[in-house]
Amino acid sequence: MPVLVLDVLKYAFLAILYLFVARAVKAIYVELRPQAAGGGAPKSSAKGAARPSKRTKKPTRTVAVIEDEKLKGKTFAVDGELFIGRSSDSDITLDVSYVSSKHARLFERDEKCMLEDLGSTNGTYLNRRRITAPTELQRGDQIKIGRTIMEMRK
Amino acid sequence: MRAARRRNTELSLLILALIIGSGALALVAVARSTDRLADVIPFMIVLVVGYVCAHLVMRRFAREADPLILPLAAILNAIGLAVIYRLSPKGSGPAQVSWTVVGLVFFAATLMLVRDFKVLSRYKYILGFVGLGLLLLPATPLGTPINGAKLWIRFGGFSFQPGELAKICLVIFFAAYLAERKELLAIASKKVLSFHIPDLKHFGPLLVMWGVSLAVMFYEKDLGSSLLFFSIFLVMLYIATARFIYMAFGFLLFFAGAYIGYQVFDHVQLRVRIWLDVFNPDLIQGDAYQMAQSLFALATGGLFGTGFGQGRPDLIPAAETDFVYSALGEELGLMGTVAILMIFMLIVARGLRIAVRARDDFGQLLAIGLTVTLGVQTFIILGGVTRLLPLTGITLPFVSYGGSSLLSNFILIALLIRISHQGAAEPDPAATAEILIGGRGSVPR
Repeated sequence: MPVLVLDVLKYAFLAILYLFVARAVKAIYVELRPQAAGGGAPKSSAKGAARPSKRTKKPTRTVAVIEDEKLKGKTFAVDGELFIGRSSDSDITLDVSYVSSKHARLFERDEKCMLEDLGSTNGTYLNRRRITAPTELQRGDQIKIGRTIMEMRK
Repeated sequence: MRAARRRNTELSLLILALIIGSGALALVAVARSTDRLADVIPFMIVLVVGYVCAHLVMRRFAREADPLILPLAAILNAIGLAVIYRLSPKGSGPAQVSWTVVGLVFFAATLMLVRDFKVLSRYKYILGFVGLGLLLLPATPLGTPINGAKLWIRFGGFSFQPGELAKICLVIFFAAYLAERKELLAIASKKVLSFHIPDLKHFGPLLVMWGVSLAVMFYEKDLGSSLLFFSIFLVMLYIATARFIYMAFGFLLFFAGAYIGYQVFDHVQLRVRIWLDVFNPDLIQGDAYQMAQSLFALATGGLFGTGFGQGRPDLIPAAETDFVYSALGEELGLMGTVAILMIFMLIVARGLRIAVRARDDFGQLLAIGLTVTLGVQTFIILGGVTRLLPLTGITLPFVSYGGSSLLSNFILIALLIRISHQGAAEPDPAATAEILIGGRGSVPR
């Protein structure tokens, strides 16, 4: 076989090899994308759910644990201020190593309910976004700490 | 739906990988006057049928698993096969094809038998002892020395490298052991110079592993395995406890072990001399010949390589096993070797992602351990053949010739795939929450 043909084949082979690498990287990218899109979905439904709550504003807010090994199904009243953490004196104690001892707090101010991360190691997530500053909570918002998920009621 | 999409991604990548692999074999055959294209066609058929069957097994038994692991392994295996066939069309080439089939059978069997990887943690002590036994077996009179290192067992006409299988047994044992003890080992009771120091007795496991690694080095003269086992345990211990002090202590032990090895063994001193002074006229025709040939091969390859079948990688001793990367470098050049490196990096990246998504400590540590085994092994041998590190003979996963190595690496990825499947298949808490919110939002108040 002539050397020129072999040379062309050599470059073609390397090109297909890189095509494979590119396709593999693209497959990883595609797999990550629907999750990012899925993160937006609960937010829009939460907004829809928040509207009626403005009309029926009530002083007692509660937060329900919807995903946790031990606390699933339990509801806690915010009642001014509510601490979440690994330490036993928290209002909601999550005894998991991902949770910092004082992890986050919920507090009421000017008729609003706010969520604040207390410098935790692994972060506090509101509707799948990590919060960096105190953020207002709406009914139906979901809070994720470690593997525990809570939802705002009322 | 997501599972089906993953499997389709896998199939399309696998087809591309098999086209590239078959192309590599065909290129070898057309480039050399001694081979005919018809000689390699049976190999291509076996490769395609084998991997398509593996894919079908995954469709049935691991529907939700990661779609990249199998195609990535397939392309490494296929390119390795082309290089091995190129170097030894009559001997190792056909043998490697047979080993690939055996490996794929073990891959499928692992997926079928291990339906829940958590079951493995129940057999941790058995697996631990089996692993240790396999690791130290070649040191007994049963072992046969090949090229100075005693890592082989011979029975009948077969020779077998038990260390390759031992690494999987031991990784399972480490993962189960550390998942059970991680809290205990992470407790830092003392504080010295602003470092949290765990109780002295908790350094015991690390010392035991150090002893085992030293024993492998002393009795089997196998530097590569010795380093591999110690680093796997160290990384797993660090990940389980998040205590940097273990890492620091581990490095200290490593340097102590390396120093002892250097003082006691001539062959360790020789490796270091070759590493530092490969072109020394006294060495280059003798002990450093292999290393020098490896560097010459990489240099000859240049950026794009000589093309399959047109270089002289056969001049490197042990080109089909430890030095397969240099043979690849000569014929595919820097571009080809970088692509191979990227494929290894992608496997490691997927492995780490599988670990992150695993839902329990055991699964997480097992996935980490298996991934680190592959990654560290690749690093040790690639560092060796490119003279980044002193050479310690060990196989390049999926690429090098060797039945034991191929077989155990197929079992390794089967376990990773199993963990990945279970990590994705069990209900995702966030997804459940989404359904709950969606349902409530639609109810009129």
